[in-house]
Amino acid sequence: MLNNIDYFIVIAYLIGLLFLGLYFRKFVHSSTDFFLGGRMLPFWAIGMSIVVSDIGALDFVGVAGQAYRHGIAVGNFDWIGSVPAMLLAAFVFVPCFWKSKLYTIPEYLGRRYNESVRMIASLTWIIFFAFNLGVIFWSSAVLLEELMGWNEWVSIIATAIVVGLYTFCGGLTAVVMTDVVQMIIMFVGGGAVVCLGFYKVGGWSGLVEKVSAMGSSYENHFNLILPVDTQTPFPWTGILFGLTCVMSMAYMIGNQAIVQRCFSAKNEWHAKASMIFGAFLKMMIPVLVLFPGLIAIVIHPQLEDGDDALPTLIRTLLPPGLRGLLFAAFLAGLMSSIDSVLNSTATLWTKDIYEKFIRKGAPDEHYLIVGRVATVAILVLGVITSPVSDLFPGIYVAIQTFLSIFQGPIFSVLLLGIFWKGTTQWGGLAGLVGGMVSSGLMYLFKGSLFTIEDPFLYVSWWSFVTGFIIAVVVSLFTQSHPVSRLYGLVYKLNQPQTEGIV
Amino acid sequence: MKTILNFDWLRWLSIDAAKNVFLVLFIVIGILVWLLPKDYIYEGLENPRWWHNLKLWATGVLAMIFITYVLF
Repeated sequence: MLNNIDYFIVIAYLIGLLFLGLYFRKFVHSSTDFFLGGRMLPFWAIGMSIVVSDIGALDFVGVAGQAYRHGIAVGNFDWIGSVPAMLLAAFVFVPCFWKSKLYTIPEYLGRRYNESVRMIASLTWIIFFAFNLGVIFWSSAVLLEELMGWNEWVSIIATAIVVGLYTFCGGLTAVVMTDVVQMIIMFVGGGAVVCLGFYKVGGWSGLVEKVSAMGSSYENHFNLILPVDTQTPFPWTGILFGLTCVMSMAYMIGNQAIVQRCFSAKNEWHAKASMIFGAFLKMMIPVLVLFPGLIAIVIHPQLEDGDDALPTLIRTLLPPGLRGLLFAAFLAGLMSSIDSVLNSTATLWTKDIYEKFIRKGAPDEHYLIVGRVATVAILVLGVITSPVSDLFPGIYVAIQTFLSIFQGPIFSVLLLGIFWKGTTQWGGLAGLVGGMVSSGLMYLFKGSLFTIEDPFLYVSWWSFVTGFIIAVVVSLFTQSHPVSRLYGLVYKLNQPQTEGIV
Repeated sequence: MKTILNFDWLRWLSIDAAKNVFLVLFIVIGILVWLLPKDYIYEGLENPRWWHNLKLWATGVLAMIFITYVLF
């Protein structure tokens, strides 16, 4: 499918990215440089990195497929499923975290509650990231093989070498700065498909007119708000309660891979601005990943599987050169996801587990080496375990379910921890564990509890509510930390002599 | 139990009313952003300029999402 010019673009892109990433190794002299970019990064780079880390190669195909089947309602995940959460993060959580000079979100939970909460949160993220890495590798490689004809192992090894080298050498600075380039490539590659697609279908008005004329099954394809009894996984109640109030909040505020970038900002203003700039960029993402699915409805209305929408569009729409650019955009999505997972998992392991429980008080150079070794170990584990996804097709769903079990409860204790100084360490622990157990039970009995087939939005909401109630009730009956220990960890609770809101 | 978990108790709300719930949410967030103290917005900057005002940035993003949900 690719010709010489496409190969040239892809190879030049990989080599250029490798050299760019390696350039940043000269800025890494300490563990803070490696894990947090020396706390010197500007808002625009962090904002771009947050957005691009959130979009994998699979999202291009998956979201276009969902749009082909269900219409623009899937855009809720990038619009209302990001913007309110990113604004709350920008103005409340991120400034508090940044001032506390944190490395990890579990570290905040450890300071606010106790070490058990920190340990549970950290291990859960490490397990999720470690298993997810192999799945990202394999599923993306299979996709690239289908789209471009590259052997799976060529994609995996090439990506692992490039990403591994620059993440190992340059740490978070290399990750963030290469993400900036990855985002530009994704916007250019994805934008090319959308522009050519719109040209083909007669612009936006032509698209709406043609899709609307295709019958009653397409009548909701341009509606963001779908009724409670919709057959799609996106009823408005699930979008409002599960996605907006819980899942997006937990993702933008409690996900180490996202928030760690904000810790690296050069000052508090840059930390806040990075999230708001990221929210602005997020508003554009559905244009790139969702609109190709709608365009494919007009150009290829007879597809049996919606996930074929984008690959078919690429084959029929893109000329040589642009295919290479789009392939580079897919690789950008893959690499930006992998470098985030590598750096965040290495940070969680080194700061929350190794430094806390295995070797305390070692010189800073030691933790820098541990971080680098962890980066390599996680990468090798990801590559080796990637074919497991092929042996167990359900593993992708299982890993995403594992994350959604955790999302609601972790957000409930984060929210209470930052807004209510009366939340006790035992309230936090009970809320986290109780919420996780409740979501596990809801998944176990989902057939008898829920009417829609995939109720992950509802499970997130109800497990959040359960964790929240348990944490409040237990806190009312247990002793809280002295106020002096909570300075800087609770919103508007400052040391008496300091000024500012947090 | 099933009625509560599946939000069947909100079935009576029309789609237009549901859309208004989303729009009101954006307006409330905008109001909360504008209620933040001015000093807090500029914290970390030595020489703040008008374009450093993050309330304006947030309002711009909220305007974009508000229009998107009005249109669709």
